[in-house]
Amino acid sequence: MVMETQNLRRDFIKKMTAASIAASATTIPLTSFLSSCTPRFPKIPATADTVILLWMAGGMAHTETFDPKAYVPYKKGVESKRVLSTFPKVPTVVDGLDFSQGLASIGGVMDKGAIIHSYKSADLGHILHTRHQYHWHTCYEPPQSVQAPHIGAWIAKELGPANPVIPPFIAMGQRFTVGEAEELKAFHSAGFLGSEFGPFLIPDPSGGLDSVRPPQGMSLKRFEARFKLYKELANQNKIMEAGSDYQRESLMRSMEQSYRLLHSPEAKVFDLSQEPKEVYDTYNTGRFGLGCLMAKRLAMNGARFISVSTEYEPFLGWDTHENGHTRTVKMKELIDRPIAQLIIDLEKSGHLDRTLIILASEFSRDAIMEGRPGELVQDQVDQPDIIENEKFYGMHRHFTNGSSILMWGGGIKKGLVYGKTADERPCASIENPVVIDQVHQTIYHALGIPPETHYTIEGRPFYTTPDGMGKPVLDLFG
Amino acid sequence: MEDFRWIFQFLGRLHPLIVHFPIGLLVVGLILELVTIGQKRQGLRQGINWMVYIGAISAVIGAIFGWLLRTNDDYLGELVDLHQNMGITTGALAGITAFLLMRKMKNKASSYIPYRIGLTLTVVCLIIAGHLGTNLTHGEDFLSSVLPGNTHSPDDGKAALLFAELNQLDSLTTSRKDQLNLEVRKIFAHNCYQCHSENKKKGELVLENKAGVYKGGKGGPIIVFGKPAQSELYRRIALSPNHEDVMPKKGKVLKNSEIALIRLWIESGAHWSDQTLKLFPEAPLALSKPDLPVNSTEKHPVDRLINSYFERNAIEWPEVVDDKTFIRRVYLDIIGLLPEPKDIDQFVVDPDPDKRSNLIDTLLGDSTNYTEHWLSFWNDLLRNDYTGTGFITGGRKQITDWLYTSLKENKPYNLMVKELVNPTEDSEGFIKGIEWRGVVNSSQRTEMQAAQNIGQSLLGINVKCASCHNSFVSNLTLEQSYGFASIFADSVLELNRCDKPMGKMAEVNFLYPELGNIAAKNKKERLSNLSEVMVKPENGRLYRTITNRFWQRLMGRGIVEPVDEMDNATWDGVLLDWLAADFLDSGYDLKHLLKMIMTSKGYQLPSVSYHDVAEIKNNFIFHGPTLRRMSAEEFSDAVSQVITPMYAAVAYSPTGELPASRIWHRELKFERDVLPEPGKRYFRRTFSLANRPIQSATVLISVDHSYILYINGKNIAQGADWKKVDKLEVSKYLSAGKNCIAIEGFNEGSIANPAGISFAMKIEYDNENDIIINADTNWKSTAVEPHKGWVGIGFNDGDWAKVRDYGTSNWGNLVNFSFDGPAGKFARASLVSQHPFMKALGRPSRENVTTTRDDQATLLQALELTNGAFFNQVLAEGADAWLVHYGANGQRIIEALYQRSLGRNPTKSEREIMLGVLGGQPNREALQDVFWATLNLPEFQFIN
Repeated sequence: MVMETQNLRRDFIKKMTAASIAASATTIPLTSFLSSCTPRFPKIPATADTVILLWMAGGMAHTETFDPKAYVPYKKGVESKRVLSTFPKVPTVVDGLDFSQGLASIGGVMDKGAIIHSYKSADLGHILHTRHQYHWHTCYEPPQSVQAPHIGAWIAKELGPANPVIPPFIAMGQRFTVGEAEELKAFHSAGFLGSEFGPFLIPDPSGGLDSVRPPQGMSLKRFEARFKLYKELANQNKIMEAGSDYQRESLMRSMEQSYRLLHSPEAKVFDLSQEPKEVYDTYNTGRFGLGCLMAKRLAMNGARFISVSTEYEPFLGWDTHENGHTRTVKMKELIDRPIAQLIIDLEKSGHLDRTLIILASEFSRDAIMEGRPGELVQDQVDQPDIIENEKFYGMHRHFTNGSSILMWGGGIKKGLVYGKTADERPCASIENPVVIDQVHQTIYHALGIPPETHYTIEGRPFYTTPDGMGKPVLDLFG
Repeated sequence: MEDFRWIFQFLGRLHPLIVHFPIGLLVVGLILELVTIGQKRQGLRQGINWMVYIGAISAVIGAIFGWLLRTNDDYLGELVDLHQNMGITTGALAGITAFLLMRKMKNKASSYIPYRIGLTLTVVCLIIAGHLGTNLTHGEDFLSSVLPGNTHSPDDGKAALLFAELNQLDSLTTSRKDQLNLEVRKIFAHNCYQCHSENKKKGELVLENKAGVYKGGKGGPIIVFGKPAQSELYRRIALSPNHEDVMPKKGKVLKNSEIALIRLWIESGAHWSDQTLKLFPEAPLALSKPDLPVNSTEKHPVDRLINSYFERNAIEWPEVVDDKTFIRRVYLDIIGLLPEPKDIDQFVVDPDPDKRSNLIDTLLGDSTNYTEHWLSFWNDLLRNDYTGTGFITGGRKQITDWLYTSLKENKPYNLMVKELVNPTEDSEGFIKGIEWRGVVNSSQRTEMQAAQNIGQSLLGINVKCASCHNSFVSNLTLEQSYGFASIFADSVLELNRCDKPMGKMAEVNFLYPELGNIAAKNKKERLSNLSEVMVKPENGRLYRTITNRFWQRLMGRGIVEPVDEMDNATWDGVLLDWLAADFLDSGYDLKHLLKMIMTSKGYQLPSVSYHDVAEIKNNFIFHGPTLRRMSAEEFSDAVSQVITPMYAAVAYSPTGELPASRIWHRELKFERDVLPEPGKRYFRRTFSLANRPIQSATVLISVDHSYILYINGKNIAQGADWKKVDKLEVSKYLSAGKNCIAIEGFNEGSIANPAGISFAMKIEYDNENDIIINADTNWKSTAVEPHKGWVGIGFNDGDWAKVRDYGTSNWGNLVNFSFDGPAGKFARASLVSQHPFMKALGRPSRENVTTTRDDQATLLQALELTNGAFFNQVLAEGADAWLVHYGANGQRIIEALYQRSLGRNPTKSEREIMLGVLGGQPNREALQDVFWATLNLPEFQFIN
């Protein structure tokens, strides 16, 4: 792999420390002046330092959540085609913006963020959730001839850790022992960027601390002594005498680094038991809620990219192939309180301004439509024309032509409603459609990562978004 | 308002003009001001004043116009912000300076000093703003690009040389004209195709072909034959770099030698050669065995060749490595295991002069271990794995069985290639590719994957790049790669350029048509043809590619690098050709190739250290093997050998005997099968036995997470480690008639997670058929705690449910789950499915072909080794096992650890350091720490 962008910003800061101290004494922005000579891509100003992705895994129906349509209550014998939403609308704090019942807390913080109504997922034919998730997270459709990096890995690579002790890319809430596990692993990856930038996985946030402290059952004193022994032996070692070697040095250096990390007091950030009980209880709607709490702690302490997933497990979570209505009630209970609390807490602590929070799902659902209008997609769900059983009341098919994305903080306009879906079936995006390339570039834009960022792999340029063509949705920024 | 916008835009665009006033006036003003210091040259005073006033006014106007330009035209970015801020600062400072000067002139101020400081600051800011402005308009490397050391043009020399060579000739022969034309076209390709290709046709001009160049563009012909000065083409490239009309574009122009070459070409009649343009170097296809150097001081063929290489490069032969280093190296390279201390001792004292070559033979003869080591190399190369994407929807297939067998029987390489390309059912996984459900990008359809993977893995050529568009790393065209992919297609493929259909159908062809015709009426015949053509001895590329890969594996650096780009230059082409030809002569014998390299002195040289990976990648000079790091599999197996087995279960069992199911209570959520929740589950299996004397009855059991086993109501055993197979003799608990096995299983954890029971019981009789009872769906289970008697025969389990078979994919197959065979085997890492620990240490997920692994350590690896729960668990288990085996004897443990891990005794000081930690009577924690420190030593982790 040939590197075309180095982590210029980081290197630069290291090298320029002395110069910047000197420059800060004068009115001339010397560092900026000099830095303008170095990078290859024109830099853009960043409005965010950290990203939190709240991932609604499994396909969240927009009509049942953030973009409700006409409510048709359950009645034995109701026609499927009449059912647009199974919940009544409830107004949010933003004029003219209604949410579906059960999301009042999130509705209450919409004055601090924006909603995109018109996200269109790719049409990848016959639905496989993980394939769409791969596409959402990497911006590339699998399979690819090289391994595409997760957006978190790109960000980790380009910006590095904000706090050297907190891994730059943390993914929470997803286990890899469920169905489609291999497909999930395929995109929870730094791909060709190298495992260094891969996700730090915390499937269960309540046990997050274990991953960043000395091995379980090992006292700090013993941990220190063990490392001392290692250093002494390594210095004795005859293989070390043969002059410097890049490989040997990389081994010694990385061992040293990991020791420092695990030795640092910042590990406490991963410890949810440090939170006051009432805060913990507010967030604790389950693993997702605790993930939000951990995300709050991480964002406040210098993480770069954090994802919190409701967890994908085939036919569970948002993947409602039946009992859509009743299960959506549960899902709303899982997400509503902790997400709103996360926004409120980050705003209170002053971190919301520089933290971009995104809520999204791989696609939406519908009671009738599979895929999108005009595309023949194989049906995967038996949905009767007449609903005789409440089990069939809900959004059970996969709809790819319109879904909602919510954003808060990090320079995003407050109280904005962007795009529109039709009020009658198909409830597709009819105004300002947004595709994944734009979503990624919007995130990169907020972070100050230029749209043409790319690396050469196997002789070919590989861009953050395919061919470097994606454009940010600038209207979303305040 | 909108109507007047053009005025602002117009004024804004005057910004670049206006800004030159303050630059001129204020800079000269400052210089003149400086020469008046100390009351000298007072005659300049009035002039300076006017310069400063006009300069200041123009600076302010310049700043305002700049702001207009920014607002009305689209300028964005940090650089623009900076330039704007500096510009405004300059304007403000200029104003202040002028004001200070005015005060002095009106004698309101006593001294020139404030004004002079102001003027100096203004000029400093002005220069910075100016520089930033330059960067904006001319690019950020505008200045730095001409600084010495900043010219980046490897073939600058080539164009210049050719020009010098041709320019001194009076007339050019046709072949010289061809050469000139091809060089000119190369310049077009690198600099002009971007806009002037068939696909883009900017200004209606195409420079890709003869017709386009001769026809010219929108403005008419671009060449007047013989007359460069009148040719538009020449005029445009020869303009000043900042001219608006200059080509390729303002700020980026051709090099002087390139311009001269194009001039010469037009002068000499702009001849167009019939040869196809090959922009990239191409290695020859054919292979013939070079003669070995005669009268060499060396005997071994490889060494005779290296000797010549060393002579040419003035390198002295270093001494070969000692026996201990050698034995560790060959063990790891052939069978991927460490030599046992006793093998080392025996080898060192062996007086036989041929002992090294004999050892190589012996190890190559250990076909099981050879296979289970080299399997990883081939799995990487052929993108074969036990888990991964695609399997779930049947879009992928393993070739493990075929591969394992092929290696085990050392199948000739040509035969292997034939079977991969024209596969049997067992080997079809390679060209089948990976398919996800749904539609795919045309460059990733499975036929194209087949072409890409055969290209990369077997032929060392990048087809991926040419699957979207004509390659820009090789001479491959889109048509060629579609032609190649068509071989594997059931129907004719339509060419797609960057995923857009071109309305053109592909014609079946192989990348190297000179080898033979592939076309046939159906896929089956085409594959057969391809397999014959590919393995022809004339296809030197196939054999060079694998030879180079083997060399790279054994020596750390290929003769050609990267190993997937076999058109690149070699550091010794004769050596590569000789080895490849010799490999061919040996009957395509892969073990012969290994032996040929390993018996050479070249392989046995001390490893060479490099400060920087770039020294290995570029301008490489061979001095001996490079220092290599153990792979994830080698490290794992070494730990398994030295400390305690790391992995208990394999994903692929070569003998196929291991059980393939684990049972647990069926758990449902919304009527779907899901992972079991934590908690206790109860299992029963009843069966009847005839009234015959039982010779023996053996139970094998392993339960995730823990179990209590009852037979006929009696508590027999319990266990809490699914990786251990508990082997129990239970005949005395069985009786004639009805019997009952009951298991209380427990699933740990806070969330739903895999749990399962592996169970087998073999009841043997004299001279009669054995009875085997396995974990299968004949078992029943419940999640509700039953009343006490549930373990007994008489209990009624009528309302219990049938268990569910959870398969073994979450655990693998335990290698020790066997009624016979020795216990204590460890699972070879190559047979274990991808594991987070190995992943961290660099085992690739085989979603794509991976031909080299990054052997530089990373932080994530170090974290895994330092606090990873898995590795620390292995160390803990190891410490317990060692304390049982060696007793709490510090001295003995240190000796054993050094011999087993490093193949030597500890030095005096190492012994002291170790004893300081272990003490005379080590406890398990101290032992774990000593293990940890040793396994992380460079001496352990590197193949020296």
